[in-house]
Amino acid sequence: MGTLDTVSIGILLAAIVILAGILSSVIAMRFGAPLLVVFLLLGMLAGEAGPLGIQFDDVKTTYIVGSVALALILFDGGLHTKFATFRSVLAPATTLATIGVVITAALTAPATHYLFGLDWVASLLVGAVVASTDAAAVFFLLHARGLRLRPRVAATLEVESGSNDPFAVFMTLLLVQYLMLGDLPVQTVLARLATEIALGSLVGMLGGRAIVIVLNRLGLSQGLHAPFVMTSALVIYGVAASLHGSGFLAVYLAGLAVGNRPTRAHRSIVSFLDAVTWMAQIVMFVLLGLLVSPARIVDSLLPSLGVAAVLMLIARPAAVMLCLTPFGFHWREKLFISWVGLRGAVGIFLASIPLLVGLPRASLFFDIAFVVVLVSLLIQGWTLGVAARWLHIAFSRFDPILRRVELDLPGQLAQELVGYRVGAKSPYIRRGILPSWAKLMLVIRNETVLVATEAGNVREGDHAYFLAPLEKAPALDRFLVDMPPPAAPDPRLLGDFFVAADTPLGALAEIYGVEIADADASTTLAEFFRQRLGRSARKDDLVPLGTIALLASKVSEGALVTVGLRLAEPEPEDLPAPPAGWRAKLKGLVRRAWIELVRQR
Amino acid sequence: MPLADLLLPNAIIPALKVNGKKQALQELAARAAELTGQNDRVIFDILMQREKLGSTGVGNGIAIPHGKLAKLGKLFGLFARLERAIDFEALDGQPVDLVFLLLAPEQAGADHLKALARVARLLRDPDVARKLRDSRDAEAMFAVLTLPPASAA
Repeated sequence: MGTLDTVSIGILLAAIVILAGILSSVIAMRFGAPLLVVFLLLGMLAGEAGPLGIQFDDVKTTYIVGSVALALILFDGGLHTKFATFRSVLAPATTLATIGVVITAALTAPATHYLFGLDWVASLLVGAVVASTDAAAVFFLLHARGLRLRPRVAATLEVESGSNDPFAVFMTLLLVQYLMLGDLPVQTVLARLATEIALGSLVGMLGGRAIVIVLNRLGLSQGLHAPFVMTSALVIYGVAASLHGSGFLAVYLAGLAVGNRPTRAHRSIVSFLDAVTWMAQIVMFVLLGLLVSPARIVDSLLPSLGVAAVLMLIARPAAVMLCLTPFGFHWREKLFISWVGLRGAVGIFLASIPLLVGLPRASLFFDIAFVVVLVSLLIQGWTLGVAARWLHIAFSRFDPILRRVELDLPGQLAQELVGYRVGAKSPYIRRGILPSWAKLMLVIRNETVLVATEAGNVREGDHAYFLAPLEKAPALDRFLVDMPPPAAPDPRLLGDFFVAADTPLGALAEIYGVEIADADASTTLAEFFRQRLGRSARKDDLVPLGTIALLASKVSEGALVTVGLRLAEPEPEDLPAPPAGWRAKLKGLVRRAWIELVRQR
Repeated sequence: MPLADLLLPNAIIPALKVNGKKQALQELAARAAELTGQNDRVIFDILMQREKLGSTGVGNGIAIPHGKLAKLGKLFGLFARLERAIDFEALDGQPVDLVFLLLAPEQAGADHLKALARVARLLRDPDVARKLRDSRDAEAMFAVLTLPPASAA
């Protein structure tokens, strides 16, 4: 019975620690503290130095849990990456993920060498362990702040963080092997690297396809789609790793393949994997926090901070500057990418490998990595938003945080039902605009469900449900949530007055004194647009009529509904001023000074 | 063309009490008839003729009913702020509380169009609309409508 009690108490303690992790997220969010640090600290608190005093030094369990967690996190990362994004930054991101990792590791090594007196290979190992940016940390911190980064910067960071883990893992394993066995010829290294990448990519892509096919062909029962995908991801990891391919690369690519193809139950898969990723992160970070012994860390704290400083301020920026030079990034962007080289669980996880195989001084490696990751998450994680604004990488507008409800429609993959609580200041309410591919289906008003025809005009506070193509659904957000009024629209595209498209030209001629051919008197505006354009009108088409201009101002389902009348040319003061950058300001200043000068004479 | 050329200080109604679009147009036509010496029925019919093509409620609570009147001597403007906003079948569905009526003589041609565009663009400026809504008396409204925009100062 005694052993059973130990098991029960073990389960209780583990569950309490994880529960504390979940609840602490509320506090962390409120203070903007990097959540991952909180999990790590929680693990430390539960460990040998804290009040719970849990003794935990099972490196093997940590390694297994870490591998599974990392595989799932990377799969989820791939699942969320749009293929177009992936392709657009493939070159810069993979350069960073390969050469960048080597440069970072190589430049961090001297710090370790001189501060700890480790030999060069061991120093390089420490460098490799902390060289990769952490996908979970980067994804999470970029999105949690609602930052809207320049697309190319955000994409590079995400794809880099997803694809450099496999390379850092490879480099770490290689160095560990060298430290254990000594001799390792260059050809072997290169051959192994090629195998890892080739097999990892192959297994990942084929596996991803296979998941999609099985998902769409096989009638799995509703609740099993997501677990099927998750388990398959682990199978893909296992297959690739057993064949000596890169398992992490494989799952990332598999995630990419699954996330970019229409599948059944797409929503539930994504939300299930989000939950799994959360769980994986909490468990992994707590476990890593447990594994570390704070007393030992204190001994090596100062030199470890030195390593962290060298990594953050020298190695990473140098690697980014060198790797991104051919790709035409602005220096601000490069500086930002350098600063968002967030380290995370991967670093600590990799540091557990030397412990696992029992390398001499392995615990020191682990301690250094732990401090580096903690410092990086705290300092870089916390200052991410400030850095983005300071370097003008973030757009001034924050992404609205909204609650979009997405419902899969059984039996087909092209469309889904998207629901919103319609904001009072949303463009849809203010100006009645909605993309043509979205169709209003249901309105829930005062707890009553109305179909579109019953509901009439959607009002503020209604919950409106639209039918929309799967891949376009997120674009609906802009129309339905509160947005600040747009900057003044182009006056050239504004009608002074509006008339229905079935108005005959004759009626216009009579009221506005526009000259038209007699034959046109009964031609309607819609017909006139078609005649002049040779096609049906699209929004903002402009057709002159005598001295006035006709504007297609409202087109619904391909038919012109309302025509704007622009009665006179816009006057200069109506036109938007050119953007006044400092160059324009300077030019203006010089010009004014010149005019003054000329006048004086 | 400054608005002062077509809007006289006495052609401002600071708080017009009406219950609907038709009544608003009737009241405005009556007032316009009084000031121009034309027949109010004729003015009303001309305004309605334009509304049939599509509301002159141009959005943001503003309506600019207009038309051509054969016997009119010169361009004539009349501004009214409604005590209570009414449904004007406006494009954006919003109730209307600022109404600018513009009548043009038959031969006004380009001037007529320019004046209409001018009025529409002036009232489209959210600043101007806000100031008109904040004003209590006719003088203040007249000043807002006829003074050059602040940005030009």
